[in-house]
Amino acid sequence: MKFRCERDVFLEALSAAGRAVASRSGALPVLGGVRLALSGDTLKATGTDLDVTITVEAAVSGGADGVSVAPARLLTDIVRAVEPGAVVLEAEADELRIASGRSHFTVRTHPSGDFPRLPVPSGDTLSLPAAELFEALRQVTRAASSEDSRPILTGVLMAAEAGGLRLVATDSYRLAVRDLPGVGVLAAGQSVLVPSRALSELTRLPASADVVLRLGAHDATFEAGPVSLTTRLIEGEFPNYRQLIPSGYPNRLIVGREPLLDAVRRVKLLARDATTPVRIAMRPTGIDLTVVTTDWGTATEDVDAKYEGAEMTVAFNPAYLIDGVEAIASDEITLDTLDALKPATLRPTEGDDLLYLLMPVRVS
Amino acid sequence: MRLVIATCAVDYEGRLSAHLPTATRLLMVKADGSVSVHSDDRAYKPLNWMTQPCELRAEPGRWVVSNPKGETLTITIDEVHLDVQHELGADPGLQKHGVEAQLQELLAANPGFLSQGLRLVRREYPTDIGPVDLLCRDAAGQAVAVEIKRRGEIDGVEQLARYLERLDLDGRLRPVRGILAAQRIKPQAQVLATARGIECVEVDCERLRGAGVERLTLF
Repeated sequence: MKFRCERDVFLEALSAAGRAVASRSGALPVLGGVRLALSGDTLKATGTDLDVTITVEAAVSGGADGVSVAPARLLTDIVRAVEPGAVVLEAEADELRIASGRSHFTVRTHPSGDFPRLPVPSGDTLSLPAAELFEALRQVTRAASSEDSRPILTGVLMAAEAGGLRLVATDSYRLAVRDLPGVGVLAAGQSVLVPSRALSELTRLPASADVVLRLGAHDATFEAGPVSLTTRLIEGEFPNYRQLIPSGYPNRLIVGREPLLDAVRRVKLLARDATTPVRIAMRPTGIDLTVVTTDWGTATEDVDAKYEGAEMTVAFNPAYLIDGVEAIASDEITLDTLDALKPATLRPTEGDDLLYLLMPVRVS
Repeated sequence: MRLVIATCAVDYEGRLSAHLPTATRLLMVKADGSVSVHSDDRAYKPLNWMTQPCELRAEPGRWVVSNPKGETLTITIDEVHLDVQHELGADPGLQKHGVEAQLQELLAANPGFLSQGLRLVRREYPTDIGPVDLLCRDAAGQAVAVEIKRRGEIDGVEQLARYLERLDLDGRLRPVRGILAAQRIKPQAQVLATARGIECVEVDCERLRGAGVERLTLF
């Protein structure tokens, strides 16, 4: 294999494919590699950790077709370090030579036959608006669990809902529901559970106008411009989230998004561990935020707000609260509560396409 | 304390034979007569040592340390680079800060973590042989003495037993329950504590920090 291309073009392809390269110690050594496959003037760079596979196509000046699997991190570091301009790569036997200007590197490669056979995208192609999808995914993936002990909760439910697409994620402490009206990519009643890690990676890929989705029986492939991301689907039944959403609330707080975010971030400085909650005392003209820790001290801040309901104090995990407020794009947010121990709901004050349900923390 | 830096070889004869070839080492002779041989390698235990009771016989170019069990440590000295002696005086003992102090603070704030209904009367409650870490009252009003250790060992049980004996002399407190609290309690200490009627409670610092806080779930 031999080709020549611009450093920045190659670096972009390597960086994107490298996001799927296994980082776990103990994985197969070849999974730490990026597969470079040249056919004519098209280079395909592929990284995989067996759960997520990312392939990037780049236009190069091809010299000789072939395949090589090079250590992903090392190759990326080398290409990032060389001077801007043309880079020439030539693979021979178990070596890959990289030349750029006066720099010459020779790195050992993995046997290309050891690289896993890649899933072939299957299923009908469905098109989704990339910007809207990516924004929605960023809003819901934060609520998914990162603990492998409950695999169902590490996924995002993509379900057909009233002629549109609904995205749902929960880690049992919070629940995010986002509707994409008019995005009818799934048949009525159809739903799939996609690993949130794969969707988070998808949102980090270079933007393109549309995302093409291919749904197979056991995997899904998202194609965005020159990049395709394939992930296995999670098997199992997603929790019945609808029954978790209260039908109405007696207490409603309306507060500015930025002032609330800033205040929570400030008082959270005192919460040095994951167990310390932020207490929100709600009164008609505003809220008082308090973090109290045995080890470090106390932080308080008051924020102007409009509140209708019984005066009460409710405590939340500050990181989860920040996640929910960040997910809402409007200037003001609405926090609806039942009492200090029942789920509260964050929503944009205008629009109802996002719901972030958050369980309080019981404090004594 | 005598410190000698010397180029020497060391031979031990006793339960087994061991030889340290010639090298420059630190020889430490403590006030109790014990002798230890150190290399310049981390804060680590001696390469070889002889504890009390033992006898040091210094001969020209050679030290012989022996004990009543018939073990001998022979230090063959090629060259002495430094030989100093300094009176250190009585040692005040180890002042444990950090984990123990933090545990005491956390348990003082959340005594119910040790036993339901427990409330704090006083930290560092004085007795005539020293202060007990916490004095509490349980739900029934009985006095409870709590000794807090990073690691619960037999020494800690015996210390608490001595405090309980002294506290029981006070008619306002008698009978006093005892609780040994530690991050980990050794099985031997648990056996002794049970025999002395003392309760053992292992404490998770992380959980204790989050005491009074319960993460509720949606489902």
